[in-house]
Amino acid sequence: MKFRIIAAVVLAAALATVASTATGSIKRATAQSVTVWVMTDAQNGWPGAIAAANAQFQQQHPGVNINIQYQTWDTVLQKFDAALAANDAPDVIELGNTQTAKYMAAGAFSSLKAKNFPNSSTWLSGLKSSCTYRGKLYCVPYYAGARAVIYRKDMYRQAGIKKLPTSYAQWLADGKKLMKKFGKNPNFSAFYEPGQNWYVATTFVEDWGGQLAVQQKNGKWKGTLDSPQAVKALTIFKSMVRKLSRASKSVDEAHPFPSIPFAKGRMASFIGNGWEWPYVFDPKGGAAPKSFAKKMGAYPMPSHIKGKYMPTFLGGSDLGIPISAHNKALGADWIKAFTGTQSETLIAKAGNIANTTKLANVNAHNPALAPFARAAKSSWFVPTSPNWTNVENSHLLKQMLTAILTNQKSVAAATKSASKQITTILNASS
Amino acid sequence: MSSRSPAAAAAVPEARISRRPRRPLVSRLRSGAAPYLLILPACVVIGAVLGYPLYFMGHLSLEHYGLFQLIRHQGEWIGLKNYSQIFHDGFFWHVVLRSLAFTAAAVSLTMVFGTLIALLLVQLGTKMRVLVTAGLIFVWATPVVVAVAVWSWMIDFEFGVLNWLLTYLNVGNFNHHDWFASTLSGWTVITSLVVWGAIPFVTLMVYAGLTQVPKELVEAATTDGASSWRVFRDVTVPLLKPIFVILISLSIIWDFQVFNQIWLLLDGQPPPQYFTMSIYAFTTSFQQSQYGLGSAIALVMVAILLIVSFVYIREMVKIGDAE
Amino acid sequence: MSSKRSRRILWNSVALVVFAVMVFPVYWMVSTAFKPGNEIFANTPVWFPYHPTLSNFGDAIHRPHFWADVKNSLVIVCAVVLMSLVLAFLAALALAKFRFYGRKAFIVLIIAVQMIPLNALIIPIYLVLSKANKVNTLSGVIVTYLTFVLPFTIWTLRGFMIGVPRDLEEASQVDGTTRFGAFLRILLPLIGPGLVATSIFAFIQAWNEYIMAAVLLHDPSKQTLTVWLASFTGDRGTAWGPLMAGATLTALPVVIFFVAVQRKIAFGLTAGAVRG
Repeated sequence: MKFRIIAAVVLAAALATVASTATGSIKRATAQSVTVWVMTDAQNGWPGAIAAANAQFQQQHPGVNINIQYQTWDTVLQKFDAALAANDAPDVIELGNTQTAKYMAAGAFSSLKAKNFPNSSTWLSGLKSSCTYRGKLYCVPYYAGARAVIYRKDMYRQAGIKKLPTSYAQWLADGKKLMKKFGKNPNFSAFYEPGQNWYVATTFVEDWGGQLAVQQKNGKWKGTLDSPQAVKALTIFKSMVRKLSRASKSVDEAHPFPSIPFAKGRMASFIGNGWEWPYVFDPKGGAAPKSFAKKMGAYPMPSHIKGKYMPTFLGGSDLGIPISAHNKALGADWIKAFTGTQSETLIAKAGNIANTTKLANVNAHNPALAPFARAAKSSWFVPTSPNWTNVENSHLLKQMLTAILTNQKSVAAATKSASKQITTILNASS
Repeated sequence: MSSRSPAAAAAVPEARISRRPRRPLVSRLRSGAAPYLLILPACVVIGAVLGYPLYFMGHLSLEHYGLFQLIRHQGEWIGLKNYSQIFHDGFFWHVVLRSLAFTAAAVSLTMVFGTLIALLLVQLGTKMRVLVTAGLIFVWATPVVVAVAVWSWMIDFEFGVLNWLLTYLNVGNFNHHDWFASTLSGWTVITSLVVWGAIPFVTLMVYAGLTQVPKELVEAATTDGASSWRVFRDVTVPLLKPIFVILISLSIIWDFQVFNQIWLLLDGQPPPQYFTMSIYAFTTSFQQSQYGLGSAIALVMVAILLIVSFVYIREMVKIGDAE
Repeated sequence: MSSKRSRRILWNSVALVVFAVMVFPVYWMVSTAFKPGNEIFANTPVWFPYHPTLSNFGDAIHRPHFWADVKNSLVIVCAVVLMSLVLAFLAALALAKFRFYGRKAFIVLIIAVQMIPLNALIIPIYLVLSKANKVNTLSGVIVTYLTFVLPFTIWTLRGFMIGVPRDLEEASQVDGTTRFGAFLRILLPLIGPGLVATSIFAFIQAWNEYIMAAVLLHDPSKQTLTVWLASFTGDRGTAWGPLMAGATLTALPVVIFFVAVQRKIAFGLTAGAVRG
């Protein structure tokens, strides 16, 4: 009997709330507001930058509601597609710099004038080109990230490595020394490389002069992972992984984050982003003690050409204004506030690379982050075809790597079929 | 018997119905608008939410509809091209076969284990039975998103408890065992997860049915000298047939459409060897932005599901049509 | 006697194994939730949280929008359960007590609806809700869920109603009360267990759904608990401790609901399942 009463009360309350939320949403739509979709990375990593941008925007537009709706990478594109189909898009949306091309080509964004945005003359060229389609600008660079080797100084020392390697050959020799010293532990990797981390594999390909795909004179794309340079690079990569790494060959670099097994002493090094450094100490992550920092270091991955670095993948994000946004002018103003020097400084300090070269030295005196900025000076980027993101979405590069590393396919066979698929996807009409 | 339990029978064996005289209410309320008014609200809701979307999906499946078309709200009519593309695609037929094989495996494992555990429950004393039932209810109550999170944590490559346990129990060296590196072991994990989640519902339904089997019938058969297997086969199963029909139909429908478990377990990027039909339809639509083709795949999927479960559906309609 | 006892021991041990295997994932979730970080990522698994901590729960609860999303989930579930019971009751009444033209078609309809893959309908449903201004509102999600819960609830309730003995119906009419009123007064208490059984089903379906809620609700403060939970695995790391704590919290309301109605479950399922 008691339960029945409680149930009745709960139900009545529920219905009342439904009614109120339903009416509430209609009212709110009439008030001036700007709706922003940015990834939860900002929420967790640099909330200060959002707060600063909001404060600045609020000064300019008092009374306008700022509606920040944090999104996750898993579902944002599905939501965005549905919203585009229903003319219901937000006023600002963050997309990864490998995803923008597809949406720019399909006409999803309104075009912008670079000079209206702060620091546009000094934007990172890599990010700026990910926002440019047929000579027009469709989004604003947000931030970039570069990868470098994060390593254990103490282990290197114990294995008799006196100075950091300056060439790939030396780097590989050092790795073998580490395996000799610590390899008896079945969990130990001298260099931890989750098999599907295609950013690292492609870094090898680029270093040996190969490319993922090239655009031919007739405008058609051609997958080129089966070029002699790429095959050579992947063969070297495979033998390296099989010698130095005991990471899973069927997962990418997010499962688990290498920083966790790193904190547990399961590896001497891995290639990671700047923000993975603090993650080693996160009590919910690696949970390493503060003193562990003394044992950690970072350096850019050395190239097979002595004295050079391997080019790193320049990942990053851009901010665009959807074609069907309701308040485009407000959206633009919010982007201006968020990509201004003040916010970008905070974003860079969180372990990223700011969108402008003016802020290149923000982390120069931070021993943890400086090597990442150095690594970023030599970088590669994915093919600029609008269809590239479909290649990523099909995960064929990850599957190719798993097939190669687990000996299911030879490097030649795996790259040949991957190149063929890439050619097909890149040339498909959108 | 029939009036002992006041509310009874989701599924009444037909033999029993025919013996029964007609209900007075039925004959009196036979005509008129009453039944239509009663089903109207349900029909309105279903029609409002599904009517236009289904039409839209059918329309979409006859169009070339990519991101470009999506933004302009205007598809390109291409007739049956999407369908002919699907039917000429070898990979598609692979996916169909794989979905069917998975459904067959998952449904039979679920039914067998579910029934066995239900039979076990009958054998147990009250305390033990409450314990096991409580355990089953915990599993049933676990949302799929939660279950997937727990399972992927258990099979984690670096810190997973399963690899450690299997190594410890000398099943083999499972240190750093990569469950998704080989297709077979990957599907083993997926199937186990799906079956694990589906067992409680089946067990509780079958157990509920078993408690309704008249004791006299079983006793009579046993004194006639029938083995317990024969009693189960010849007395229990026929009586429980309506339950089994419903459970099998629902399991086929659910397992053939399996999506969340695979999608979340493989982090939203399942490789082609883990594609089922719903994953194929979803990735075609959302990851390759071929919404027309994706809709066509989804509709073909519904058609295949109808064919596969036809026998059971017919049984269900018969059961539903009886009074 | 001794053979009977040894058989009992055998069955009990089998039951314990079944229990352990089924429950282990649930146990592992809860125990991980109570462990500090260094016990979670231990080189040999720690079987029991010897140093229990609430910090994972604290972390989970303090993630943005936890309470708002709990409220959303409760609102959605309560509304779906209540409305599906009312609508299913009416439709089941029609199916169980009337013969009418189109009855079979209606039965086929409710079976067929369950075969439609929800995932393939995301964009079309989004379009419809958007036209009705119901995207990013709980009511839009509620109506969508209702569609997919109704077929099963109608089906199950129909079974309960068929079983209502006709002598009771007759008796009520002899008393001279109005036909429909008497019918409801007699019927409602009798199908109580059926209502419980179907509400459990509706509860679980609505509480657990993920992909529709994820797409239809943009605003993190308007999301449901399962969507909130999925955001634990962002691009920057799976925090297993808080994730397991969050998972425990997400499963908790369902368990509470079960405990609240548990005495009726056994009876409800029994009655609805088969007749003896």
